Amino acid sequence: MGFGQFLAAPEIKLKIVTYRDVFQNTAQETSRFGEDYEKLSAVIKLDPKDMVKLSIKEGETVVVKNAFGKVVVTAQSSGHEEAHQGIAYMVNGPWSNALVPDETGGTGVPKFKDFEATVQGSKGEKVTGIRDIF
Amino acid sequence: MSEYYVCTGCALLCDDIEVDIEGNKVATVHAACRKGVARMKGCSDPMECTVDGEKAEVDTAISKAAEILSDAKNPLIFGHGNSSSEAQKRSIALAKKTGAYIDDTSSFCQGPIVEAILQDKIKTCTLDDVRHKADVIIFWGADPSNSHPRHLSRYSYFPRGKERQRGWEEDRTAITIDVRKSDTAVISGDNRFYQIPMGGDAEFMDALVSALSGKVPKTSYGFDVKRILELSGVLKKAKFGVICVGLGLVYSLEELEPLFKLMNKLNEVSDFNLIPMVGQYNMRGFNHDLFEETGYINRVKFNPETGEAEHGAEQSVVEALRNRSVDAALIIGSDPLSSLPLSVSRYLAEIPLITIDPCQNLTATRSTVTIPCALGGVEAGGTAIRMDGVEIEMKKIVDTDKLSDEEILTRITEAI
Repeated sequence: MGFGQFLAAPEIKLKIVTYRDVFQNTAQETSRFGEDYEKLSAVIKLDPKDMVKLSIKEGETVVVKNAFGKVVVTAQSSGHEEAHQGIAYMVNGPWSNALVPDETGGTGVPKFKDFEATVQGSKGEKVTGIRDIF
Repeated sequence: MSEYYVCTGCALLCDDIEVDIEGNKVATVHAACRKGVARMKGCSDPMECTVDGEKAEVDTAISKAAEILSDAKNPLIFGHGNSSSEAQKRSIALAKKTGAYIDDTSSFCQGPIVEAILQDKIKTCTLDDVRHKADVIIFWGADPSNSHPRHLSRYSYFPRGKERQRGWEEDRTAITIDVRKSDTAVISGDNRFYQIPMGGDAEFMDALVSALSGKVPKTSYGFDVKRILELSGVLKKAKFGVICVGLGLVYSLEELEPLFKLMNKLNEVSDFNLIPMVGQYNMRGFNHDLFEETGYINRVKFNPETGEAEHGAEQSVVEALRNRSVDAALIIGSDPLSSLPLSVSRYLAEIPLITIDPCQNLTATRSTVTIPCALGGVEAGGTAIRMDGVEIEMKKIVDTDKLSDEEILTRITEAI
């Protein structure tokens, strides 16, 4: 155990955009409760510089939360060539939907592809299971 | 001769699928994408028939569902994107009978676009037209490489169409406009990928209209003017253009006016059509069915006395749940606890809930009644409407003991 565990992990606020992934969608067709679906859904894709700010490495888990919900997901580098600091990507699914605000301005359409959340290293917490999201 | 079936993995409804059957199960699926293969082979955890969490006979579950819906003052019927048109019509009749709210996924995705098409406000074409004629294809806020994997190979980019014999190499230009470099953007190539900031779509449309009108295109985010002018040159020269509208664009536009303006301008200088990238295989079918019945494509509440349809944002599934104005819900072929914001859908777990689906899902785990149904396009046939509005006939592939959702809805309606 190192000294680091007593320090608060750095936290940053990010805009989140959701997207579709064919592999995750395929896993959903087979089983929403399967390991593959969790592995491919409970993920946040970050800009490498944001990962440095968070002091986390590829594959570590992070806590993503806002006033609407909180989930622990795996952090991955987005792999996009263009820098996108301040913007993170989450695949559309129960984990991202746990964070989508209920605010609609009365339009009936939530902001699935444009909402804010804070991200923080989880110090080894396990990914939130699908049955625990609720 | 080979027998071809229809894949219900998405609203492309690919109708060139061959299957091998072993022991009354689809064992191998040929020609479909990986998502389609998974859909047609069926899920590994089918839903069980239950009442109050205990295993039950289908007859008991149907009676209980009928009881819940009769007792409710303002029930909600939601889902429909993964049901045949025949089942959807049954659902609309049930909503009318019970004075229910009725809605579908289009309410928070492609609804505005489908509505504009059905009201003749936007020029559209079929996917077959795209395959045979389209030379300029714009994917706007859409990433079919992930959402509709065979879109590019079967229709929009790679095929040798009747008037596009040289395919993608020489005859077609694919353009991606998106906030991130998606897999489809990679296929379009760096020269044909236009990365815009989040929420920058309407301005980019206005800029394109300016460029197409011979004016200097400007955006507040300083998009390279030369690139917009060059893009407008490509669009002007198009013989048959198509804009494939994805959710990225739908969510970004507060109103459709900028899109109407762009389409009008494009059709002054060239020939352009628009197709919505509908996700679930028969979402568009539901829009057509409800439009035929009420003049509205979604977001309807039937008056229990007069049977008249009230329509508006307040009648949408999201607002009805946010305002807690429903007191029971029937979900068909959908998993709102997964697909809606949890902050909105959480309320469903507080009211009597009925789920009809072939597979176990999150909503089912919170439901009072769960009734398994046959898998559409595999264990039950019927008709569906493809994303471009073309009606497709689905044949049953294998037999099942399970009732179809159409039969379940008929029996619930009869029991009320």
